Amino acid sequence: MASRKSSTQKTSARTAKRAVRPAPTPAARKKAAPRARSSALTLPTLHESTTASGLKVIAAERGPLPLVSVRLVIRAGSATDPEGKQGLADFTARLLRRGTRHLNAQAIDEAVEFVGASLGVGVSEDAVSLALTTPAEHFGPMLNVLGQLVREPIFPQSEVDDARERELAHFANDLDDPSIIADRALVRALWGDHPYGHDVGGSSKSVRTFTREDAVRFHAERFGPKVAMLVVVGAVAPDRVAAAAEEAFAGWTGGPDAPLLIPAPGRIAQAGRVILVDKPDQTQSQVRLGGPGMRMGHEDYFPATAMNIALGGGFTSRLMNEIRVNRGLTYGVSSWFDSMNVGGVFALSTFTKTASTREIIDVALAEIAGVREKGLKPRELADAQAYLAGLYPLRTETNESIAGSIAEARLHGLGDDWVEKFRDRLRAVTPKEVAAAAKKYCFAQPPSVVVLGKATAVKKLLKGLGPITVVPASEYE
Amino acid sequence: MPKASPSKVSARGVDPALASLFDVHEATLPNGLQVRLLANHQAPVVSLYTVFQVGSRNERPGITGISHLFEHMMFNGAKKYGPKMFDKTLESNGGRSNAYTSNDLTVYYDDFSADALETVLDLESDRMRSLRISQATLTSEREVVKEERRVRVDNDIFGMMDEELGTLVYKAHPYRWPVIGWMADIEAIGREDCQEYFRTYYAPNNAVLYIVGDIDPKKTLALVRKYYGNIPRGPAPAPVLNAEPDQKGERRAEVHHPAQSPALMLGYRGPSARDEDTLVLDVIQYVLTKGEGSRLVRSLVYEQKLAVSLMLDWSWRIDPGTILFYLALKPDSDPKKVEAALYAELEKVAREGITERELQKAQNNLRSDHMRELATNSGRAHALGHYEALLGDWRRVLTLPAAYTSITNDRVKAVAAKYFAPEGRSVVTLVPASTEA
Repeated sequence: MASRKSSTQKTSARTAKRAVRPAPTPAARKKAAPRARSSALTLPTLHESTTASGLKVIAAERGPLPLVSVRLVIRAGSATDPEGKQGLADFTARLLRRGTRHLNAQAIDEAVEFVGASLGVGVSEDAVSLALTTPAEHFGPMLNVLGQLVREPIFPQSEVDDARERELAHFANDLDDPSIIADRALVRALWGDHPYGHDVGGSSKSVRTFTREDAVRFHAERFGPKVAMLVVVGAVAPDRVAAAAEEAFAGWTGGPDAPLLIPAPGRIAQAGRVILVDKPDQTQSQVRLGGPGMRMGHEDYFPATAMNIALGGGFTSRLMNEIRVNRGLTYGVSSWFDSMNVGGVFALSTFTKTASTREIIDVALAEIAGVREKGLKPRELADAQAYLAGLYPLRTETNESIAGSIAEARLHGLGDDWVEKFRDRLRAVTPKEVAAAAKKYCFAQPPSVVVLGKATAVKKLLKGLGPITVVPASEYE
Repeated sequence: MPKASPSKVSARGVDPALASLFDVHEATLPNGLQVRLLANHQAPVVSLYTVFQVGSRNERPGITGISHLFEHMMFNGAKKYGPKMFDKTLESNGGRSNAYTSNDLTVYYDDFSADALETVLDLESDRMRSLRISQATLTSEREVVKEERRVRVDNDIFGMMDEELGTLVYKAHPYRWPVIGWMADIEAIGREDCQEYFRTYYAPNNAVLYIVGDIDPKKTLALVRKYYGNIPRGPAPAPVLNAEPDQKGERRAEVHHPAQSPALMLGYRGPSARDEDTLVLDVIQYVLTKGEGSRLVRSLVYEQKLAVSLMLDWSWRIDPGTILFYLALKPDSDPKKVEAALYAELEKVAREGITERELQKAQNNLRSDHMRELATNSGRAHALGHYEALLGDWRRVLTLPAAYTSITNDRVKAVAAKYFAPEGRSVVTLVPASTEA
């Protein structure tokens, strides 16, 4: 299958990458004046309770399909990985389903998968998420399985060894995927030594050192009811949810009283520098540009979001128009804010044939500079607002997306009216606010430039963009 | 399948959780355009799908990839809404659009704010009626597609193996070439080729429209008549001949490319979508690879530790399709050994069938995945279009879970024996080459 545009380019068999990064959200703004427009957006009523073990439970009843989505969020993401043990949060979270006191891995898989439920583990910089979706009639027993996973995993030695070997093979095979390696190089270039500066899965170097004791200790020290939250959305009554959670998580103890504090980031590690990742077989260069962004919940969220839609969000964005439509240089280009709990980045991603590597960088930088210097035309802003406001309700279509929004609003203190108020806040953004955001985020300082491609052909094209460091792709295993 | 209106659909075989959700209104315009409308007022948004019965299956050597290149051209301007205006108008009204091309179909879809419905119908009917194909936009779009090919195939190991496999499995059928086309053909396709393609395959009588979401079906049908009613009918496209000869033995190929690990891709020739074996293969797919506890994942990934990950893709097609396996291996894996382990598992299904519990598990999962697919307007519209185009009737959306439930273990055994025969397989092995290219 081929298509005009797709955000996920791969039809590759490889399992989805480790990082499950929450979609950008944040910040309630005070001056939002509600305007009456197309029908209001309402979420199902939230019912909140706390189990005897101290786990916060949020339930929202929603039909008509007989399905339930469950999300257990634990505030122990990759930013809390111990020194030298990068990837341990992810490694530990994935091992939860490989054996508990009462069920071995096969029994867990069988219990969940037989009834048509499915269990996924996602780890971001800020949190571990266990996502369960189940036919409504099996909700109780499935929640019990989920409870067991976090209460009494046993991390069997053989499972730990096998998981480590599989991870190492994944890291090796990742070297054959240009876009994964370019993304990884960008993260390192932007964050440097900050706890956000490594791949959620770590690296082959750190994973190679993982022992059973590492996982046991991380689980005991970092996972616990006081830093967790359970969100349940679907065809089940809230009082049943509260009762089932009481049973499933009874006796869950341990873990910290509060999430580990992550330090605020300093400046961009490789600002104004070029990292050229050498992969000699490439006929195409992967290009990434990045600079500082903002944390979740920042007051600049709405102006910056509106600005980004016009710059590199939709199909009619300036970047898409100049790079793809007018010049045919690429199949895909986008810019985005990646916002996490204590900080974030603003970045651009694209790719082009080797010979046009410099041209695509120059055009991208010029477009970004244009917005930085002059902001958006009022009409552009109005179009961006209409675009995002019109499509925003799509995020309320599924139990999974609603559970995700609720969890994210809680995780980052965005307020429970975040979804309902989103469109009004977006529509209230003025051209002046956008201009201020653009000045701040559109590479006011020279960005970090990452290019993955055939270095012998590309290096001479990159002169003048900053000091160039050529790194073999294997550095990112 | 009964052709009655939804209110008269027999309760037999209709899933109880779905019956009330699919009050589909159907119509056929005098010009042959078929329309399916379904209201869902959960959120103020609408999805519109336009399914054209054309894909790489309708191509010939020399213009491979034209279906897909043409799909790109559909966004580059028509009579009323000129170049760049389609996306601009849609996005500024709170909508977004995309499209995909497969071997069999070209599918255009829009998600948009409910109040933009009429604008979207104006946009979509404009390009169906009077697309404008300029040399300048064709030249530029061709470069975009070449970049797409570079990212999906030329610099992607899965993509290059997949392309190799197609030419092994098929000798005569158009499924032989990749949907995106050969690079030289993409270079050569001309404006006249595109214009002829438009006239032949983009007439209203070769399309079905699906509109699902916050709509009033009666008013929406009136709008569809207003905007699409005067588009002239076209001649019926020529049928595609399936001249594929029988396969007389195993076929093999190697791909030498810089890589960390070897990899394996296998294809078995399957049935056509409408064949009764198709749904049995769905069950087999679930038993073999759906979930961590499925047979192949448990055996090859967890127990024998031969593969890092694996997939089985059984995509329904109009003509006999491919049952495709892909196994990502470890740097020191021996592909021969992995192949042998895979064949042993497939032979076991053919010889012994599966357990009753595995059968029931597959049926449970096929039903719950089916339900999940139907959670969104887009999912519902896509499902209606997909089942209508490939199985012949959108009503299969209601009866599929029951159809899976009626499949027996004897059928599973017979179907596995029929399709997993060694003489019917094609094997592509990735041989890691030195990275010093």
